Amino acid sequence: MTPDLRNRTAGALRSPVTFSVLAGVLIGALFLVGTGADPITAYQAVLTGSLGADGIGSTLSTGTSVLGMALALAIPLRAGLINLGGDGQMVLGGITAAVTGLYSPLPAPLTVVLALLAGMAAGALYAALAALCENHLGVPLLVSSLLLSYPAVSLASYLARYPLKEPGSSLPQTRAMPEGVALPAFGDSTVTVGLLLVVLAAAAYWFTDRRTAFGYEIRMTGLNGRFAAYAGVERRGLTLKLMSISGALAGLVGAIGVLSFPYRFVDGSLTAPGYTWTGLTAALLAMAAPFGTVVSSFFFAVLQVGGLAMERTTEVPRELTQVLQAIVIVFLAARLRFPSRWFSRRKTEEAV
Amino acid sequence: MTPPRAEAHDIAVELRGITKRFPGTLANDCVDLTVRRGEIHALMGENGAGKSTLMSVLYGMERADAGTVRIDGRDVGFSSPSDAMAAGLGMVHQSFKLFDSLTVAENVVYAAEPRRFGLVDRAAARRRVRELAEEHGLAVDPDARVGDLPVGLRQRVEILKLLHRGARTLVLDEPTAVLTPSEADALFAVLKSLAAEGRTVILVTHKLREVLEGSDRVTVLRDGRVVARLVTAETSADEIAAAMTGRAVELDRIHAAGTPGDVVLDVSGLGTSAVHDVGLTVHAGEIVGIAGVAGNGQSELIEALAGLRPVTAGHVTLQGHDITHASATERRLKGLAYVPEDRHAVGTAPAASVADNLAMGHHRTSLSHRGLLPPTAVRAHARRLVERFGIKVSTPEVPASALSGGNLQKLLIGRELAHDAPLLLVEQPTRGVDIGAIQNIHDQLLAYRDAGHAVLLVSAELSEIRGLADRVLVMYEGRITATYGKDEADERTLGLAMAGGDTGARAKAADRHDS
Repeated sequence: MTPDLRNRTAGALRSPVTFSVLAGVLIGALFLVGTGADPITAYQAVLTGSLGADGIGSTLSTGTSVLGMALALAIPLRAGLINLGGDGQMVLGGITAAVTGLYSPLPAPLTVVLALLAGMAAGALYAALAALCENHLGVPLLVSSLLLSYPAVSLASYLARYPLKEPGSSLPQTRAMPEGVALPAFGDSTVTVGLLLVVLAAAAYWFTDRRTAFGYEIRMTGLNGRFAAYAGVERRGLTLKLMSISGALAGLVGAIGVLSFPYRFVDGSLTAPGYTWTGLTAALLAMAAPFGTVVSSFFFAVLQVGGLAMERTTEVPRELTQVLQAIVIVFLAARLRFPSRWFSRRKTEEAV
Repeated sequence: MTPPRAEAHDIAVELRGITKRFPGTLANDCVDLTVRRGEIHALMGENGAGKSTLMSVLYGMERADAGTVRIDGRDVGFSSPSDAMAAGLGMVHQSFKLFDSLTVAENVVYAAEPRRFGLVDRAAARRRVRELAEEHGLAVDPDARVGDLPVGLRQRVEILKLLHRGARTLVLDEPTAVLTPSEADALFAVLKSLAAEGRTVILVTHKLREVLEGSDRVTVLRDGRVVARLVTAETSADEIAAAMTGRAVELDRIHAAGTPGDVVLDVSGLGTSAVHDVGLTVHAGEIVGIAGVAGNGQSELIEALAGLRPVTAGHVTLQGHDITHASATERRLKGLAYVPEDRHAVGTAPAASVADNLAMGHHRTSLSHRGLLPPTAVRAHARRLVERFGIKVSTPEVPASALSGGNLQKLLIGRELAHDAPLLLVEQPTRGVDIGAIQNIHDQLLAYRDAGHAVLLVSAELSEIRGLADRVLVMYEGRITATYGKDEADERTLGLAMAGGDTGARAKAADRHDS
């Protein structure tokens, strides 16, 4: 290894991210031993269940939603803004896409595009409302975005249970999308073109972050808001833009959910898996860096899907993976890292 | 070099062979410091010379890698400031550690309250503060709220706090940084009387004048080592400065005046919070200095001019354009650059790379094309400025937080000068900057002026204002209270005006220069 690469590897190994993940895995193992399970079998079940032939499809479709929400939360987070209204924006995007899908007079392929755009617009507008509350009424974004989330979820729930309800069904779900109003899937898996859209969004985020003046302003605002403001970056405008983008992505995740299996809006199906919170965790773990967000989203998708598999094949409940997630967050919040001594000592030993 | 010998019982503080290593630097290299009882001992050195580290070791905030600490002849090794306090050693930090919402008496007795039936005895606390204040000539109202006090009095509260806890040795870190000349004089009178009654004072400072006037002996650090031990009465400012920098430096030079051209900045009747009815003009090829004790509205005035604070009254024109209510960005586009007072909180993002810090403000103009900001352009721009302004940094990729104060200031000034803007606002350009770097920064500002730009300079350092400014305005309580030409602005006159006195001369001077 070149010295530069070695330094960077040592840096990555020493980073709080590595520490948190390892600590999560280790403490998770203690939990497993405590409940009488074999940690190695359990972790094996997580890995084979999520990355094996049977699980990878499920991991990728879960990953689509997790990555989408992680990006939605990472983009404002890059500027130090926290959007806690992901659920509301996502659900609003979903129900808007459902309405568009059900009532659009256009041919099916165009309806799909329209439904995606409508879902994004709904999420963007709703998130922009939270930004306006902060900009003009002084309500902190954290509060405005979170509180606005609840009425949106309730509204979608009402629509799915009453006006749009599938006649004759006992479930709180809308009618199914018309024939052909669906995102193309890969083979007969549940993975759709939605994954591509989300990965494209990640690529666009990476490009903006690294190579545009706008991305530079976002990063500098996140690192020191007063510095950015001093040089003329207008905070209110930036908040509004970033929240709109964030909401659009959340809305996209909702629309993708409706345009994939089971091709309808099912009340609670978007919020129950906790994509918003997993996404937030992933964004925090990556400190909102574009590439890191992709990697950490995949990591959490593996945990989520693998947890289910572990529950099936071993006696361990899948809540363990949530414990793991929580431990990672706690350690990350404490920003712990391995002492540099451990690595410098090893380096000197290598040199000898 | 061997430390001067003294009778053991005379020695209040003795540090021997203190060595402290941080990753990548040797902050203290076998430092000996001997402070006799009853003396005022100045510890001098540039930033990064190791003064703060040495005092942190003494005060128990850092543990030395090697060396011994003796207080009053006993070996000690404090592991926390409260240990140090218990051994009779107290420290007044540069930023005061006081509760603004509590009274003077409550602050003074904090953590060592007089008790009665297990409760704080407020009457006794007030009595105690009054006694201490009287005994040491530190007049201050025990019932005043600390937040309402001027800085000079807050410092007294800090000193009272140490005396209340029975400190025999007081360490003061840059105590005059925020004081008016007369407040500083008052402080030294107090320190001298404390020394006279047998207490010991260690003064950490980089101000030569007050060391010469107020101390008994001087220890100078450079690069973590002791480079000089001097007796104040037998030394000179030049000798100390040479020891601090390692070369001869020219101090307090008054630079030649510029040749003013057209009006660039015209301010009339400007009002914003803490600023009232300020009128001033700055011409091309001219440096206008604003002198004043910190907190008299200078920062607010500059922020309003820079577009970071709303203007509530008056007009501001920049090269004929009305910018009274323009945004910060519009102002920059119309030709304004700004070096703010607070380098860390406002002027840079310490966690971002040097290259990113140097790009700020240029990222929408010279460096970008249709919204794209190529990393190669950012790096090339950084390399150009690093070279042009002599910023010492291994590569532009390191975070700005790795730079020393002087270097960071070079980064900031370089970035702003590179805009080539007709008007430059500069606040405290050399605060906390090494003597060596100060000259460099002053030369840069003068060259900028001579290239035909207008400069508005705010500084608390009188020598800086006198050396650079072609005209001097004095701000007091939010107003411009005096205007002087370059030749009239002697130290005494300015000092008086900064303290709010001498109204007659002020009016006369203002008439002459504003007409």
